[in-house]
Parts: sequence; C-alpha cells; structure tokens
Amino acid sequence: MSRWPRRAQYLLLIVWAVFTAMPFLWAITTSFKDVNAVQGHVTYVPWLEFEPTLEAWRQIFGGAGGVNLVGPFVNSLIITVCASAIAIVLGALAAYGLSRFRYRIGPAKNKDIVFFFVSQRIMPPVVLVIPFFFLLQMPGLLDTRLGLIIVTVALLLPIAVWVMVDFFDNIPREIDEMAMLEGCTPMQAFLRAIVPNSAPGLTVAAMFCAVFGWNDFFFAFRLTFTQVQTLPQAVVALNSSIPPWWTLSAAALFGIIPLLVLAVLVERYLSKGNLAGAVR
Amino acid sequence: MATLTLENVAQTYNPGEDPDRWALKPLELTLESGRTYALVGPSGCGKTTLLNILSGLVTPSHGRVTFDGVDVTSTPTRLRNIAQVFQFPVIYRSMTVRDNLAFPLECRGWPRSRIEERVRAVAEALGLADGLDVPASRLSADEKQLISLGRGLVRDDVAAVLMDEPLTVIDPQLKLSLRRKIRQLSDEFAPTVIYVTHDQYEAMTFAQELLVMSEGRLIQRGTPEQLFESPSSTFVGWFVGSPSMNFLRGTLERGAARVGEHLIDLAWSPPVPHGSEVTVGIRPEYIRIVDGGSHPGDASETSVHGRLVAVQDHGESRVCEIQVREQQVAVKVRREVHVPKVGSFVDLGLPRSKCLPYVEGRLATCGD
Ligand SMILES: Nc1ncnc2c1ncn2[C@@H]1O[C@H](COP(=O)(O)OP(=O)(O)OP(=O)(O)O)[C@@H](O)[C@H]1O
Ligand SMILES: [Mg+2]
Repeated sequence: MSRWPRRAQYLLLIVWAVFTAMPFLWAITTSFKDVNAVQGHVTYVPWLEFEPTLEAWRQIFGGAGGVNLVGPFVNSLIITVCASAIAIVLGALAAYGLSRFRYRIGPAKNKDIVFFFVSQRIMPPVVLVIPFFFLLQMPGLLDTRLGLIIVTVALLLPIAVWVMVDFFDNIPREIDEMAMLEGCTPMQAFLRAIVPNSAPGLTVAAMFCAVFGWNDFFFAFRLTFTQVQTLPQAVVALNSSIPPWWTLSAAALFGIIPLLVLAVLVERYLSKGNLAGAVR
Repeated sequence: MATLTLENVAQTYNPGEDPDRWALKPLELTLESGRTYALVGPSGCGKTTLLNILSGLVTPSHGRVTFDGVDVTSTPTRLRNIAQVFQFPVIYRSMTVRDNLAFPLECRGWPRSRIEERVRAVAEALGLADGLDVPASRLSADEKQLISLGRGLVRDDVAAVLMDEPLTVIDPQLKLSLRRKIRQLSDEFAPTVIYVTHDQYEAMTFAQELLVMSEGRLIQRGTPEQLFESPSSTFVGWFVGSPSMNFLRGTLERGAARVGEHLIDLAWSPPVPHGSEVTVGIRPEYIRIVDGGSHPGDASETSVHGRLVAVQDHGESRVCEIQVREQQVAVKVRREVHVPKVGSFVDLGLPRSKCLPYVEGRLATCGD
C-alpha cells in the first residue's frame, strides 16, 4: 500500500477524534463558566478567555438557586445496579437453558424464543409503557424504586439473554458434558463449569445492561412523579426558558462518571483474546 | 469396572426418520469388564453417538443399556460413574492444572488426602507433576489435552473410560508414548476402556478387541488378527489394513474364481451356484511378485499376470500397483525385495489359503 491512503486514514481518524472529543471539551469548559461567559463569544481557554467559576458545580450539589442531583444520582445508581444484577442472573439462566436444551412452545423453537425476547426491544417504548403503568399501579408500585427496578429488569432482560445465548453457544458443549460426567447436575454444571468460565460474556452483558439502565429516561419519566427521580429526569428538569448551559454541562459530566468508571473496569475483559475461546 | 451391554439400542436424532437413516441402527453389544476396546469407522458412522449413549449424554431412542446387569437407560450421566475424554481439550482455563485434575474428584466428594494422592499419581504418570500450579490457560494445546486425559483417568473407581479420538490434536511424535501412558494408567485399575479412533494402527496397538462400525451399524468385532485375516465383509477388508485388502471381481467356476483368463483358487468354495458372482479378497501383504528367474508357484498358489503401473515407497516397505485386466491389485513387499521396472509385466503368486471368497460384499461361509 502506498503512503497516501495510510495518511488519509490518519487524517480521517484525527477528524473523527476531534469530532467525538469536542462535545466533551465543550461541556468541560462550559461547566466552569457563568452566564456572562456563556453568552459571549465561543471561548475555550480558562483564565485567558474567561474567568472559571465553580458556580455550576455548586448548584448541582444543592447550592443556592440550584437542584441537588445527588439524590437522583443515588436513585439511578440503585436502580441500575439492582436491575442489571437481576437481569444478568435471570438472563444467564435463561440463556443457558436456551443454549443447551431444546424447547418447544407450540410451533416456536429455541431460535424463535430468543427472537421473542429480543423483539421486546424492537417494540417502541410508548407501546410498552402503558401496560407497565397499569401493572405497577395495581400493587401500588408507581413512583417507587422497586417499581422502576422491576420495569428496568424487564427492559434489560432481552439484552442480557441475547448476549448470553450467543456467548454460551460458543462455549463447547463438552465443557458441560464433562462436568456432568464428573458428577454434576445440569445446574451444578452451569454454576461450577460454565459460570467461572464466562466472565467475559457476563461482563459484556452487564455492561450493556448498565448503559441501557443508566440512560433510561422515558420509562422513569412516565412511571415516577414526585417521590423517585432518576438522574436523566433531574437533568432534564434543570431546563428552563433560558437553558442553563453551565449547570447542564456539569450535570452531564456528573452523569457519565459511573459509565467512565465502568468502562475502565471492564476494558480488559473486552479485548478480543478474552472474548474468543474463553474456555479452550 | 463394569460389563456394559446394549440391548437392541438404536438412536435417531430426528423422530420419525426412516430407520435406514438412523444415526445408530438397532445394536446388540456386550463389552466385558476390564477389557480394552477400540471403536473404528468412517466419519459420521455413529461412534460418538454410541459413546454418548453409554455415558448417558444421549438417551437412546430405542433399547436398553445395562451396567453389570442393572438397567441404566434412564440414569442421568452424573450417576453412571463414567469418565470420558473428548477429541479437544476440555479444561477450565480459570483454574490451575492441579485444580483441573482435582475437579472430577471434588465433584464426587472425595476426601482431601485421597484427592491429593491421586492427582499426584496421575500428574506424574503424564509428566505434568512439575507444573501443577500453573494456570491451565498458559499451556500449549498438547499439554491441555494431556490434562483432559488426566481428568479422564484420575478417578480409579469408574465403570468405564470412554475416549473419543483423544490423541487427534497431539503431535504424532508424542502419540506413541502417550498411548503407553494411557495403557499404564488404565491397567492400574483395569476399567472397561472404549477408545474411538480414526487411526487403525492406533486401534490395533492399543486395544484387545476392535469394533468396526459403518453407517450406524456394528460390522465386525474381533482381535486385530481376526480383522486382518478374515474380514467379515469387503467393507472391513477395505477399512482395516493399509493399503486396503484387494478385491478381484469374478465368477465362480469349479470352486474357483474366474477373473479374465485366470482361475484363482479360493481358500474355500462359497455355497453359491456355478457362474454366480464372487469376489476374491486378498491382503496386499500375502501376494508375492514372482521374479522372472525365480521358481514359479506350486499348487498352493495361483499365478496371475499383470502390468506394474506404479510403486509407492513407504519407507520400510513398498506398495506396487499392478493392473490385472481392468482391475488393480496392490502388493506390499518388504524394502529388500527386488521390484521390477514400472511398466514391465510381472507374475503374481496368490496363496490359495489367503484368497477369501466374498459374495454380495460378505465373507462367504464354507460351502462343503
Ligand atoms: N446432536 C445431534 N443432532 C443431530 N444429528 C446428530 C447429532 N449428533 C450426531 N448426529 C448425526 O448422527 C450421525 C452420527 O454422528 P456421530 O457424531 O456419532 O459420528 P462419529 O462416528 O462420531 O463421527 P466422527 O468420526 O466425525 O466423530 C451423523 O450423521 C451426525 O450428523
Ligand atoms: Mg465423533
């Protein structure tokens, strides 16, 4: 290959990198600005171009004239962690069954059942939210964390099942067969032979669940009112007739911290070598 | 150790399928306690299916499986007390070599001290003793398969050890010594061993008895010698032996086989009418190339004339292909035997006692 295509590739990558990094830069600088600095020209360099202030950050942590985001943050954290954990446990069990045993529900076979799971996510959320509303209303779970956890589990389960079925399908059957030969029940084979060797798959599924759960706005918005507020709701609620860009930026940055931490934690599991051939 | 029997066992993976296409056709089989069997046959003939039925990973669609007379047909795998080694390594990457070897024993709830002792014995026999604390993920493919083997042989109380082509991924150089180690380990507690392999040489050197399968049927069982000397069908003659047995098509004439201008004497006369089709089966090892100068054959030998078309050098021996009329005959001769030039005409000596009559693909019974 001559050098030009290679240089063109680099150029493209640089452009792309700037394109993706810019919103972050913009948010970071904006979160340290005040009204005046935002309304003037576009500026980036603190101290030289504008005077940095911590006002926006003070406001999102309950400072005067602001909204405390810590409560919603904790709500989001609890809901996401609980719902992801439940979805992973249930999802892994369901996926293992679907990967290893043959089921028939009427004319539906394993493949159709997996598709049925995934199809839950294809449906527009508006269609799902109405039945959810009534389901939660009856036992009085509207506007509670538990209610939102249950709904989030229902939303995350398809993702978990889908990721894990694929993962288990790629684990050779001989692994469980060997465990059964060595004296395990199917459940023990799953727990002792499959789970310990599925860290990469479980991690990927957990990460998907966490990201989807964390970012959910629509269902939280429709199914809670005053008692429970999640972070995305609270951030949207910051809006007023004049968008307070500085607090919005600070809130956005605050909101991505857990995902950043997660990304750093799981990064090593996501390398190719770990995903392929987890067992052999 | 147990005597395993299959009573009228058959298996189809697609219910309602035509019985002619079942993965395993109805089969009666008794495998004696403590004996070593090799199961050979072409790919897809049902070897793995048979093993899985014995271990309970597959419940046969028909028939009964018994261990020492006890019906285990619907007993789950974990209660059958069988060890199996698969073609590819089955090890847990997250564990050390020691934990991998100990896993089968821990599953059975053995006491610590006994586990330790047994793991050590197996590791030493397989030459793994030095790396017991190495994570299994760090081993080479060969070593991983060694651990798989170790896991299969670590339990000394099993009813049977089933091995499904365990040495396929192993370096050929290592195979011989590994086979010896497997023998040594299994001789200690004398389980019933069933060893599936594609490699007939491996089968013959490893097992006391061979089972030859084809298309879901057990075609013949016997010692290596029996399979070599009197294959029950042309399939076995073709499948066992290297090169395969020669088969010359002819017609029966006065108790011998007429092949073109030759009248080949048979070991015995098949019980079929004069003029019917008969195939002469003879191993390449038993045919003699009659040198121009040397003595012609006596009455115990039929002389056949043909043209030498090719010679393959196998190192310790050579295989000559000779065109007899429109049929090919392979002759295997030792290295030091003189072989004429390719293209020349040669006379072959076919010993009468080695010319077996096959009728419709099966070894004919003695007709007299
Ligand atoms: N789980 C299964 N579902 C459907 N068909 C199967 C299954 N396992 C095996 N078969 C079919 O049954 C037949 C016998 O397969 P089996 O694996 O027993 O052969 P094999 O002798 O072990 O072959 P190989 O030497 O390739 O391992 C094949 O035609 C195969 O396609
Ligand atoms: Mg097989």
